[in-house]
Amino acid sequence: MSNRNVVEVLTDLGRDVVNTLRDGEFPTFNLPDRGTKNIVYDSKADQFVLGNSRITRDSSNTKHIRSFAQLIWVAYFAKQLIEANRTSSLRDLYYSSEAFGVDFCDQAESDRIVLDLECLTGVPRESFGVFPEEHSSIFGAVTMRYTVRGYEGKEVDLTTSPDGLPVGRALMTAEPVSTDAEILLAVESGGMFSRLIETRAWERYNAVLVQLGGQAPRSTRALMKRLRDELDLPVLIFTDGDPWGMHIAQVVISGSANSAHIMGLTIPDAKWIGVTPSDIVEHTLPSEPLTNADLKRLEELSRDIRYTGGEWQNHIDEFRLLKRKTEQQAFSRHGADYVVETYLARKLE
Amino acid sequence: MAGFGNPTQAVYSTVRELVENSLDACEDAQRLPRIRVDVESSLSDTLTVTVSDNGTGVPHSQIPESFGRVLYGSKYDRRQRRGTFGLGVTMAVLHGQITTDSPVLIHTRDDKSHGVAYKILVDIERNVPVIEEEQVRKRNYEGTTVSIRLRGDLKRAQERVLEYLRLSTVASPHAKIQIVIDDSLDLTVGGLVDTVPVPPIPSKPHPRAADVELLRKLIDRSENKKLRSFLIDSFQQVGDRSASRLLRFVGLHPKAEVRTLNREELSLLGQALRSFDGFGRPDIRSLSPIGADDFLKSIESTFNTSLLRFANRGSCEWEGNAFMLEGVVAYGDEFPSAEIPTIYRFANRVPLLYDASECVLTKTLKRVNWSRYGARGSTPAALFIHFCSTKVPYKAAGKQSIAHLPQIEEEALALYRKLGRALNVFVKKKERSSRETKRIREFSKMFGLMARYGAALAGFEKAPPTSHMVRLLFEGGFDVQ
Repeated sequence: MSNRNVVEVLTDLGRDVVNTLRDGEFPTFNLPDRGTKNIVYDSKADQFVLGNSRITRDSSNTKHIRSFAQLIWVAYFAKQLIEANRTSSLRDLYYSSEAFGVDFCDQAESDRIVLDLECLTGVPRESFGVFPEEHSSIFGAVTMRYTVRGYEGKEVDLTTSPDGLPVGRALMTAEPVSTDAEILLAVESGGMFSRLIETRAWERYNAVLVQLGGQAPRSTRALMKRLRDELDLPVLIFTDGDPWGMHIAQVVISGSANSAHIMGLTIPDAKWIGVTPSDIVEHTLPSEPLTNADLKRLEELSRDIRYTGGEWQNHIDEFRLLKRKTEQQAFSRHGADYVVETYLARKLE
Repeated sequence: MAGFGNPTQAVYSTVRELVENSLDACEDAQRLPRIRVDVESSLSDTLTVTVSDNGTGVPHSQIPESFGRVLYGSKYDRRQRRGTFGLGVTMAVLHGQITTDSPVLIHTRDDKSHGVAYKILVDIERNVPVIEEEQVRKRNYEGTTVSIRLRGDLKRAQERVLEYLRLSTVASPHAKIQIVIDDSLDLTVGGLVDTVPVPPIPSKPHPRAADVELLRKLIDRSENKKLRSFLIDSFQQVGDRSASRLLRFVGLHPKAEVRTLNREELSLLGQALRSFDGFGRPDIRSLSPIGADDFLKSIESTFNTSLLRFANRGSCEWEGNAFMLEGVVAYGDEFPSAEIPTIYRFANRVPLLYDASECVLTKTLKRVNWSRYGARGSTPAALFIHFCSTKVPYKAAGKQSIAHLPQIEEEALALYRKLGRALNVFVKKKERSSRETKRIREFSKMFGLMARYGAALAGFEKAPPTSHMVRLLFEGGFDVQ
């Protein structure tokens, strides 16, 4: 959506509120319900989307008024950003609120309000110029062309820095030009990301490497999706061997409840390569027993619509049977090169 | 000397003894007390206290003994009174005489004269009054004026004296007291109600108070009666049947002549009267409680409060003396915030300001778990507790604290719990309403922000007004800022 359209959407929002107040009525909003129960699979879009359940925010309700006012302020703040051609991180937005007399208990609250605004307007926050803190990087034989103001047309080689390049607004909006790579390998931890760069595993496997840094930020997912679609790179995901790692992969593949209202973020044909429960046994990896929290998480995942497939249910059952978990770094037990020479060789070749 | 131990207390006690006697004299006269207290400090440490009232006046024949003899006048008049005339005031006279070598001046008029003035000293060795001067002098109306010159510390005592007078009118709201200190202060307190309290009726002693000494006195004053009639006539709560039963139990003949009883028989009789459980409770008409209306009104006029609740207990007795407790729990910013409410103690309508920690009322206060009654460190609550009795069991001669008797403790505990429950209801309600006010204020703020940023978002110059809508939403009289 163009900036002008976004500004119009936001301005309309304010006009609605004021006009309702002038009529002596209490403004209300109607938002899609973001609860996990309201996520359904949309086969046409090939992704999970929010269902038909909606919630109403009523400004005459003392329990709603706070988030109502916060939402209007976030919309106002977003409009200011666009008009000044600036961006803000979610954290910046949280701290900025104080100067306007609007207070949030914590950043989680302001993040939630930003999501509300997305749901209400159907505009992703990136279009308002609001981004998460960068905590994700990319490295590989890809050339991108920037579109961000001041860098328009400039090309960048993603192998430029041996540390990888942070995935920010500039890379997210850049256009893929060309690549020599054949796959895109996303890894959970920074340690594994560095290891794969240092050992030149990216050359050996012709891989573009992405460090997810835990749950992948939306900008990273959007970039991966773009590389998948425009450069035709199959996406593989390598995480820790526990329910949480498995779910990091799942979100890349089928999306998160929190972003189910945003289209074009999921990569349905991406694949989780491990560490799977059977890898733990096969490679005799050092492991720890599953905690109660882990088991509870497995229980939740087993009932999650995104885990309906037989393969996913198998992984869950295996975890429950094995009752153990491990980290990507556990391969070091067999020597620093084992993960590249043996594990990935088997998985990728 | 008890109550005159230091120069500060001496000033306070002198004022107190004189004011108490004045209030009692007005009560006897059934008049609204109009009392004036003058304090003149001639030298830095010497002052004259003059208290003037519109009471009955003192019969002329009794003046020398009343003011000039220690331990005069223990009448067997069982009813609630403030002072024990002849003891307290003589101490004040004595203290004045010792410290300044001056006589007490008395100017009084009773219903039989136009007025008489005395100057009296005490012969300390022989405990007899010495009349220095006696003259007929007209007084405009009935009443008494007493002047005592003493050495004392007015500067330090002043606050206590004012506090004492102010609290005196809390317990006697019908009294109006004017205090004039040199040229520096002229203050009138009290006069909060216009009705004279129902006077307590003097009662006969209760049998539980009987000891050999009392029996002797009663026998001396009675004609030579038969034992059973003597008991019925001399004691309250003793009737034909209970007297007969008691005498059968002791083995004394009901027709025996009382004057013939020997010491042993009297002792036996006394013991039986004290332990026999067939007598009713003492007559409550000999007491003069402040009562709900007057007590609440006086505290309300004297303190800035947002809660006042009254509670009382039925009459009880200690050693045959009727007593009862009444109290008010108050809440207001004037009182200190503490985990235990501040206590104001009164005995027979006299405020007790010293020796609080020794008093049964204070000690019992600490036995109550006040947090259960909504009191926290931040609760500005106070209790006004009035103990009234035909005889106050003071712990010491200073008359500042009540002795620790189990009956009193039990009654105090029950009263505190009653008042505590009232406090709890109030505190809970207050917390609820302050939460509600906070909620509305928060709503109003947020609603305003919504309108303000809504207008800014729409590009309007001004935000639409919202306060009328907030008021609409919370109809019910809350203030919205």
